Order: sequence, then C-alpha cells, then structure tokens
Amino acid sequence: MPGELVEAPIEVYRFDPATDKAPRYERHVLSLAPHTPVLTALLRIRAEEDPTLSLRYSCRSAICGSCAMLINSKSRLACQTPIGPEIERHGRIVVDPMRNQPVLRDLVTEMTPFWSQYRRIEPHLIADPAHPMPEGRPTSMTPAQVERFRETPRCIACAACYSACPAVEADPMFPGPMALAKLYRFVVDPRDGATRERLVRIQPNGLWLCLRCHLCTEACPKGVRPSERIMDLKELAIAAQGATDPGSRHAVAFKENIRERGVLNELKLARQTAGTAGFLAQLPQGVRIARRKPELSKTPPTIAGKEEVEKLYEALDDGGSSA
Amino acid sequence: MKVAYYPGCVAQESGKELDMATRWVAPRLGIELVDFPNFSCCGSGFIDEANPTLNVALNARNLAIAEKAGLDLLTVCSTCQGMLALANDRLADPAMRGRVDGALSQIGVTYRGTTKVTHLLKVLTESIGPEKLRALVKRPLTGLKVGAFYGCHLLRPADRVGSESAEEPHSFEDLITALGATPVMYRGRVMCCGFPILFVKEGTANRIAGRQLEDAKAHGAHALATPCPLCHLSLDAYQNKAEKAVGQDLDLPVFHLPQLVGLALGATPGELGLPRHLVDTESALRHIGAVAVPT
Repeated sequence: MPGELVEAPIEVYRFDPATDKAPRYERHVLSLAPHTPVLTALLRIRAEEDPTLSLRYSCRSAICGSCAMLINSKSRLACQTPIGPEIERHGRIVVDPMRNQPVLRDLVTEMTPFWSQYRRIEPHLIADPAHPMPEGRPTSMTPAQVERFRETPRCIACAACYSACPAVEADPMFPGPMALAKLYRFVVDPRDGATRERLVRIQPNGLWLCLRCHLCTEACPKGVRPSERIMDLKELAIAAQGATDPGSRHAVAFKENIRERGVLNELKLARQTAGTAGFLAQLPQGVRIARRKPELSKTPPTIAGKEEVEKLYEALDDGGSSA
Repeated sequence: MKVAYYPGCVAQESGKELDMATRWVAPRLGIELVDFPNFSCCGSGFIDEANPTLNVALNARNLAIAEKAGLDLLTVCSTCQGMLALANDRLADPAMRGRVDGALSQIGVTYRGTTKVTHLLKVLTESIGPEKLRALVKRPLTGLKVGAFYGCHLLRPADRVGSESAEEPHSFEDLITALGATPVMYRGRVMCCGFPILFVKEGTANRIAGRQLEDAKAHGAHALATPCPLCHLSLDAYQNKAEKAVGQDLDLPVFHLPQLVGLALGATPGELGLPRHLVDTESALRHIGAVAVPT
C-alpha cells in the first residue's frame, strides 16, 4: 500500500581505531517506506541521531561508486539497496564496512590496496610504436570490436567485487575482480599495442588465482560480470603464452587428460600439472588420501564412445596450446 | 521417477563414496538411475578456462545422450551441474550454437536442447519434497547441527545456472530440517571451498577452505554437508592442510549430500562409504546414535 511505513531496526558498525578498543554495533529503529535506500536511512541516522557516524557517499544514484558496504553481509551499494526486502528477509539491517580492506573509521575503509592493484594492470591504452595513432583525429573501432568489451566500461570502481572476493581475502597477491575485468578491456581493445605483454605480466600470482566462484559477478551492481571477463582472459592468456603458469598448466593438462579416456585420470593430472618435483612434494598427502580412497592410484576405465570425444577435440581444439 | 544418472568423474574415482550413497538412497526415494557408459567428463571448469567452445561441445554431447534416451539428467556434483547447465545457457547464443552443432554433426550427434539438468538436492527438495521425505526418515538426525556447503557452481552465475536465490539459498537447509537435523547458518555456506586453485597455489586454497570450516565450527556445526565432491575433497581430504593454514584444529566431519540422507533413511556408515573419509565422521554419528563401522 503506498505511504505505508515499516519499522526498520538498523545495526551500524562503529569503530574508530584511534579511540576504540573494539568495534561495536549501534542499533537504531527508524520508520521508513520500504523503498527507502539504506544510504538514506544512514544519512537520517547521522542527521537526526548521531552526527559522528562516518561513511562515504556522493551521488546517491549508483554512479559514483562511493557507498559500497556490507548490507546483511553482502557487498552492495547502499544507495541502490532498498530496506524493504532486507527487513522482509532478515528482520533487520546489519551494516558493516566492506571486507578485505582495513577500516579507517566506521563504514569508511582504506582503499589504497584496491587502487594499487588497479594501477598494476596499467589501466590506459599503451600505443604500439609500430602502429602510431593517427595524429589530429580519433581512432575508430567497429561496432563488433566495441561489443567485445560492452560490459566493462560500466564499472564504477565501487570495490564491491573486491570486498566479496575470497581470493583477495586469502591472498594479497591476487589483483581482484575489478582490476582483471579492466585489464580484459585493454587486452581486447584493438587500439592497444601491449596485448601480449599485458597477458604475460598478469599470470604469475595473478590471473590464475581466480576461483571462478562468481561471487564478484553476484556483487557487481553494474552488470560488469568480472568473473566471466576473467574466464575470457584465461583463454586469451593460454593463446598468447601457452601453458606456462601453474594455473594455465593445470587447465591445459586437464583438457588433455580428458582427451585420453573421456574421464579424469586424477593421478596423472597431478603429475601433469605439478611436474615431477611438484608431484613428489605432493606425494605424502596423496598417499595419505589414497589409503582411504584407493581409486586415486588406479587408472580409470575409458568411456564408451571415446572416439567421439576425440573427434570433438579434433574439430574444436588445435591442441597446440599445450606446447 | 527415471533419470539419466550423471555421476561425474570424482564420484566414480576418489569420491566413490558419493556414488555408493547415491545408489543406496535412490531406490528408497523412488528414483530409478539409468547409467550411460558413454558420458564424458563435464570439464570441471578447467576445460572452460582453456577452450570454452570445446567445453560446451563435450557437455552438449552428454546432454544429447540423455535427450536421445528421453530422460532428464540427474547430477550429484555442484560443478557437473553448473557446467551442464551452463552449456544449455551458452547454446542460446547463435554463434556458439553454430560451432558446437558443426562439431557434433561430425560424430552424427544432434542436440535439440531439451535436456533438463537437475541436481539431486533439487530433486529431494522439490520433486520429492520435505513432507514425503519426512515420512521416509527412519532415524531422524535429531541433535545433529549441520552446516550446508552449497558449492559455487550450483548457485552462480544465478541468471545462467541457478535454480534459487544465490545470495540467500535455503533448499539445503530445508532438507537438513526435513531429515531431523538442525541447519547451521554461517557466511561460508555460499562461499568457495578453494578447490579450483588447490593445484595452482595450495596454500591459498587451504586458507580458503580453512576459513569456511572455522566459520562453520564457530557457529556450532557438528558437521558439514555438501552436494559437491570437489568441495568434499578440499574440505575433507585436505582438511589437515586447511588446519595448518588457519592455525586451528578443526576436526569437522564433512558428509556428501546423499550420505546425510542415507543416514536418516537408516543406512549403515559402511553402506554410505563413510570409512573412506579422511576426517573421521564418528564425532557426528555419535549425536544421532549411529555406530561407525571400523575401517
């Protein structure tokens, strides 16, 4: 019914590292229309109840990317998240700062690591000296060329993907979803002259740490679908450099492994990915597992119709990428 | 209910206990499993990284095998489920469709795109339903606190492969409740298990697994249950390494989804392959009065 208000219990994370020993949650109960954005609720708390609440925001229209935070433990833009469905689902709204970044104060995080990872991918066109850009007039692209990176320019660098990413959480080397999605945009840009160098540089301790869990695609408020752009990058990286990184070696070894029998040969895959030295390093754990799961050390049977699988490989896979 | 059973590689190899448990519970749930010796691997996401078109073609061939038999496909692995469902989604793109059809025609296979791919979890919660399931329970799992661990590819990307809200799924918790156990809600239930990079950077993968395990334990879980044998490998077979990575003893048993169902339906631990786990399940079995078979 229009005009109807809901009671919204809002629990806001508060922490000032300079004065507080530990974070705490402050509870406020507001009467709000269900379509009210969480950001509006927070600004009302700040205006009417506690002027010391710190948060980042600017446009209130999902354009500036400033107000990403955790709303009921999901990384979202506060300006784009209405309170109604949150209250319906959780009975309350718990607001925390983004994950994977140190807290400066309350809902404001230190975003320097996020921006450093972005700088690492050199987010600008790099000219190819052999093909200088025409002077005095813009270079043009065909609609098909632009279509290849249709989604990435929508990115507003809000860091919701970075906050949601379990690889970022576990490994400070991982560039994070946004940096990689932006890298994709330059790799497929026909005007960029550093495609191969970019693909070579991003692989060690970078591209292949993506888990393809798609949590970034779920978190992205603009439909950039970073995880899918990262999948595109992986294919391009193998095409450019072959199977040279542990990640690309594993992907290519897996593909070749299935070609042999149609199903996975687990033991052989470990050997193919890790090489002899790596395989030996993994041996104690392998033996430990194989004691309970003896199939691990046996060769699996070949599927019926294996020759059909072989023909699909012949038709669609040049096989040269494992070289 | 008659289905084309797609066990996937791991359930036929190191995760054989998943296949054992599936074959034990299926007839008791009125599911007839039809085997096809010509199914190939789903690519597990790795072939998709190396060659997405080949990945779709391999799965289109699998889907065509079920289509020809007039059966829908039943999976017991979140990753197989995701890869097969993704193939159906990608075949909507005319360019992909053209390349895949071209390759399939060389082996005399046509796929019209009619095969539905359903994970056992969905069959349990939707086709069978909690009511009927409750009536089949012989040994309610009362007192056992179980954390569901969904596995990424069952849920995401939601608009391509999902069958319920990826952010707030509840089918697994509904199932746990129907079996008489208590679901544990924790952040890690929809997170990644670390498996995809276990052979790329093991320490990072172990830390990710450890993070979810300690989260579940902190929320009071006696055990986890997963519909994905790859998550099972990362959470069970490598739990010793996850413990080291997070510097904490975890000792948290991890059940495959049909093992949990089997326990409630009265199976013995041996019938469900529980002695094959690396983390002893006895601490969880004690809560429900099921006696473990010595290994």
